Amino acid sequence: MLFFRSEERLREWCAARGVTPGPAVSMAQLWGLAAQWYGTRLEPSARRPGPDEMRQIFAGLGLTGAFWDPQADNF
Amino acid sequence: MDFLTSVKLAIYRHFAKTGAAPAPHDIASALGSTPNEIQEAYGQLRANRVLLLERDGVTIRMAPPFSGVPTQHRVAVDGVKYFANCAWDALGIPAALHKPGTVYSRCEQTMEPLELIVSEDGPGPSTWIFHSLVPAAKWWHDLVFT
Repeated sequence: MLFFRSEERLREWCAARGVTPGPAVSMAQLWGLAAQWYGTRLEPSARRPGPDEMRQIFAGLGLTGAFWDPQADNF
Repeated sequence: MDFLTSVKLAIYRHFAKTGAAPAPHDIASALGSTPNEIQEAYGQLRANRVLLLERDGVTIRMAPPFSGVPTQHRVAVDGVKYFANCAWDALGIPAALHKPGTVYSRCEQTMEPLELIVSEDGPGPSTWIFHSLVPAAKWWHDLVFT
C-alpha cells in the first residue's frame, strides 16, 4: 500500500512491473479509512472490523466493487 | 478486563509512547506478569490478527498501524517518531493517537518526497493518491507484501 504523486505516476509504476493498477484512492478517502480503522485502536474495546463492517466503511467512502469486498473470491 | 486485552493495550500504549515495539519483558513488567505468559499472549494475538510477529515468535513486526521495523513511511507526532507499515497506516497513526502529526513518505514511482501535515481532522487538500495492488480479500494472505 503505497503513495503516488498522481494517477499517471501510478500507471507508470504498474506498467514497469506488468501489473494492472487497482483503484486509486484520494487522500480524503484514505483519511476516512484511517480514521475509521484505527480511531479506536488504543481503546480496550478496539477490534478489527468484520467483513460486513469493512464493506460499510468502504462503501461509505465510495469504495465499491469486488476489489473492496473482503470475501470476494474472483481474484 | 481480560488478560489478552490487557496485553494488547500495553503493547499499543508502549508503541504510542515510544514509537518502538515492546519486548515481552517490557509488557511483563507493565502488567506484573512473566515473559513466558506474555509470549503466549503474543501468539494468541497473532492468531486473532492483532499482531504480526517475526519468525522468533516474540518480536513484533506489526501492531497496525505501528511498525516494529523501519519502513519508508515515517510519522512524527508530539515529538515521537514512528514507522508505519504502509501508506494507509501512516495516516492511521495520527488517527489512532487523535493528535496532529506529519507523515513523511514518497511517491513510489519517482521517489519524490511526501511531507503531509495531518490535523486531528485529517490532511488538507492534496493531489497525492493511495494505491493498493492487493484486493481486500487477500490483504492478510501476505501482510508484509500488502
